[in-house]
Amino acid sequence: MKATHLLQAVARRVAAAAAVLLGAATVAFAALQLIPGDPVTTMLGPFSSATPEVRDRIRAQYGLGEPVGQQYLHYLGHLLRGDLGQSYQVQRPVGSLIGDQLGPTAQLALAALALALLLALVSAVATAGRRPVLRGAASLLELLTVSSPSYWTGILLLTAFSFHWQLFPVAGAQNGTSLVLPALTLALPMTGVLAQVLREGLETALHEPFAVTARSRGLSSTAVRLRHALRHAALPLVTLTGWLAGSLLGGAVLVETVFGRPGIGALILQATTNKDMPLVIGLVLLSALVFVVLSTLVDLLYLVIDPRLRTDQVTP
Amino acid sequence: MSRLSRRPVPLVAATAAVLLAAACGSGSGSGGSTSSTPVSGGSLTYAVDTEPVSWDIDVSQQDITGSIQRNVFDSLVFQDDKGQFHPWLASSWTVAKDLRTYTFHLRKGVTFTDGTPFNAQAVKTNFDRIVDPATTSQYAAGLLGPYSGTKVVDAYTVEVSFTKAFAPFLQAASTPYLGFYSPAAIAKYGSKLGAGGPADVGTGPFVFSSYTKGQSAVLTRNPKYDWAPATDSHQGPAYLDKLTYRFLSQDSVRVGALRSGQVQVAKSVPPADVKTLTPGSGLTVISKQAPGGVYNLVLNASRGPFTDQRVREAVQRGINVDADVKSVYFGAYQRAWSPLSPATAGYDSALTGTWPYDPKLADRLLDQAGWTARDSSGYRTKDGKRLSLVWPLMPQNLVSQQHDILGQAVQADLKKLGIQVERPRQDVGTFVKQLFGGKDDISDYSWARADPDVLRLYFNSAETPAKGGANGTFIKDADLDAWTEQGQTTLDPAARATFYTQVQKRAVDLSLVVPMYVVSSVYGASTHAHGITADANTWLEFHDAWLGK
Repeated sequence: MKATHLLQAVARRVAAAAAVLLGAATVAFAALQLIPGDPVTTMLGPFSSATPEVRDRIRAQYGLGEPVGQQYLHYLGHLLRGDLGQSYQVQRPVGSLIGDQLGPTAQLALAALALALLLALVSAVATAGRRPVLRGAASLLELLTVSSPSYWTGILLLTAFSFHWQLFPVAGAQNGTSLVLPALTLALPMTGVLAQVLREGLETALHEPFAVTARSRGLSSTAVRLRHALRHAALPLVTLTGWLAGSLLGGAVLVETVFGRPGIGALILQATTNKDMPLVIGLVLLSALVFVVLSTLVDLLYLVIDPRLRTDQVTP
Repeated sequence: MSRLSRRPVPLVAATAAVLLAAACGSGSGSGGSTSSTPVSGGSLTYAVDTEPVSWDIDVSQQDITGSIQRNVFDSLVFQDDKGQFHPWLASSWTVAKDLRTYTFHLRKGVTFTDGTPFNAQAVKTNFDRIVDPATTSQYAAGLLGPYSGTKVVDAYTVEVSFTKAFAPFLQAASTPYLGFYSPAAIAKYGSKLGAGGPADVGTGPFVFSSYTKGQSAVLTRNPKYDWAPATDSHQGPAYLDKLTYRFLSQDSVRVGALRSGQVQVAKSVPPADVKTLTPGSGLTVISKQAPGGVYNLVLNASRGPFTDQRVREAVQRGINVDADVKSVYFGAYQRAWSPLSPATAGYDSALTGTWPYDPKLADRLLDQAGWTARDSSGYRTKDGKRLSLVWPLMPQNLVSQQHDILGQAVQADLKKLGIQVERPRQDVGTFVKQLFGGKDDISDYSWARADPDVLRLYFNSAETPAKGGANGTFIKDADLDAWTEQGQTTLDPAARATFYTQVQKRAVDLSLVVPMYVVSSVYGASTHAHGITADANTWLEFHDAWLGK
C-alpha cells in the first residue's frame, strides 16, 4: 500500500467523521428547537415555583432569548473551540460532566462486548451443523435473549443471583463482582444476534469445497471450524459487532438505571427529561463519535481478517 | 407575593403512597422495638427512588435534595409533625405584631463541620445568597417571600425583615431549603455547591463525604454534633457511623435489595408489596400521611360545561371515589373528603361523609343543567353539542402512583352518566401551556406542604398555575380570596383554623375539587433498624437511628 494512498484514505476518514459530527450536532440542535414548550419551563418542571424574574434570568443566562440562527452560530463557534458549554441544571461544564461518568459506562460496555463475543463464539462453534435438537435448543435460547427487554432480563437476573442466592451485589460499581450481572444483562441480547449470524456463516462455510478438502486431509471437525470456517464467517460478524457495539451505549442507559450503576445512563436520563440542551447535545456528539470510531475499527479489522482486501487499491 | 408552594407530588418522588388501613393515621411507625437501648456504630444503607439534579439547597426544588441534605443542614427552627415549632439553631425568637420582622436569638457554640462558627453573619450570608438573582433559586427564594433583608444585631442575634406581613416564615425557616452553608464554603465553592460531596458544609448530624452520580451518596457522622432539636429522642452525635443513600429507581429492585438485606431501608414501597413486609420476614413498614393538598381532581370553573355549578356537582357526586381508590390501591388507601390532608393543621374532619357517591343525584343535576338529549354513542348533549371534558395525561415519565389507572376508573364512572372524558397524552411543553392557559377542564395533582396556607395556592384567584400557584379551578370567589388571605396574616392557630375550615367547606360546596385520596409515604425497613421516624414532610430522620442485632 502506497503512502499517498494511505494519507488520502486517512484524510477522507477524518473529513467524513467531521461531517458526521457536524450533522449530529445540527440535528440535535434542530430537534431540541422543535420540542414544544418554553425551555425554561421544561427545565424547571410544570409546577415550579420559580418567579418570572428567575425565569427571565435563566433565559438570559443561556442566550435563549436570541434568534435561533444566532443561537446556532454561537453554539457551533463554541463547539469548534472544543467547548461543549455549561449544563443548565448542574452548572458545570458538559465536557467534565461526561468525562466523569464515561469510565463506568465504558467498563460496562466493553465487558458486555467481550462477554457477548465469547458466548456467541462458544454457542455458534459448538452447535453449527450439529444435531438438530442441540442446534434448535441453542437457537431458541438465543431468540429468547434477543426478544426480552433488557430491564426485564436485568430484574430476572437480580432476583435470582442477588436477591435469592445473594452471589452478587444488587448494584453499584464498587468492585468486579458488581459488574457481572449488568454486563451479562447487556450482553445477552447481543449474544443472541451474533450467535445466530455466526452459526449461519459457519454452516455455509462448512459446506464449501475448502472445508471438505480440509476434512479429507484428516483435520478434526473442531479444527476445521476454528481454523478455516471461522475466518470466513467472521466478516459479517465484525460488521454486526461494530453496529451492535454502538448500540451498547443506549442499552447501558437502561441497565445502569436498573442496577443503580454510575455512568452515562443517569446523565442521559436526566438531561433529556430536563431538556438540558448543552448536555443532550454533548451526549449526542459522544454517541456519534463512538459510531465513527467503531466503523473505522471495523474497516481496519476487515483488512486484518480478509487478505483479499489488502491490495494497492484502497477500499473506499 | 409570597410563593411557598412545594412541588406537587406528581413530579416529586413518586411515593407509592399506599398504606394499610390498619397502618393509617398520621402517627409514624418505627422499625423494631423501642425497649432496647440504642447502640452507637454501624452503617445503614437507604435505597431511594430518585436522585438530586442539583444538590444546592438554595437552588433545588426537589424533595430528594431536601430530604437527603436534611442530614447535613440544620434550620433555625424545628417543626414537629403536629405543626408546632421548637428551638433548633435559634434558641428563641420573637415575631413583630405586623408580621414583618422576625428576631432570632441564635444558639451559641454551634460550629460548621469545617470548624467555623455558626453565627448571625452566617444567617445573613445564606439568606442574601438565596435572593441573589445569580443563584437562580428555584424554590428557596420563594420560601423567603417578600424578603427585604437580614440585619446582624449582634454576633448571635439576627432580624429578618419582609416588605409586608409574612406569617408562613417560621414554617419556611424550618425546611432544609433555608438551612445554612458554612460562609467559608460559599466563598470557596459558590455555584459548585450544586455538585454535592464534601463542598457542602453544614452544621448537621452528618457530613456529606462523597457522591457518585447514578449510584450513591455517602454521609458520615459529625462527631461534634450537639444541637439536635429537643424533640429528638437523644442529644449528641448520631448513632450511625455511616449513612449511605443508594439511587435505585426500579421499585422491584429496591424491594428486592431490602428483602435480601443489601439495604436496610427502602423508600416508596409499591402497594402490592406492602402486605408482604411483615416482622416475620424481618421487615416492617413505616408509613406517614403527607400534609398539604390531597390528590385532588381540580375542576376548571372558568370554561365550558364546568361554568355551570350543577355540572361540577354532578361530576363530584358521580365519581365512585371509595370503590375507585379501593380497587386501584388494593383496598388499602384512605379516601379523602377534604382538599386538605388530615395531617395538616386546620383540617376539617366535619366534611367526612358529606358528599357521598350519588349517581341518581348526578343524573338529575345534569338534566336540570339542560344536558338532556343523548347522541348515538350514549353521551349527553345540549344544543347538539356533546358533554365532553378534557383531562390531559402527563408525559409517561411524570405519571406516578398509577394515576393514569385511577383516571380510567373515573372515566368509566362518568361515562355511565353520559359524560365523555378525553385524555390526550401530552408532552411537558404542551401540558404546561394548556394548564397555565386554563384550557383544560380537569387537572389532577396533590401539593405537599406542612401548612394550611396551601389552600391559598389552590383557591385564591391570584394563584393561577402560570404564577406558580395551584389554582387550576380558575375560580374568582370573594370569600375564598378573603379567607385565604386573612389566614396568612395571623399566627393565632384558632383564628387560622376558622378561616381554613371555611375555605375547605366552600371549595367542596362549590364543587371546585373532587378530593380522591390522602397521599402518604410508605417505607420498608429492616427490623434491625431502630429509631427511624418520619418528620412533618414525611421524610425519614436519621439522627436517632441505630442498628440492633
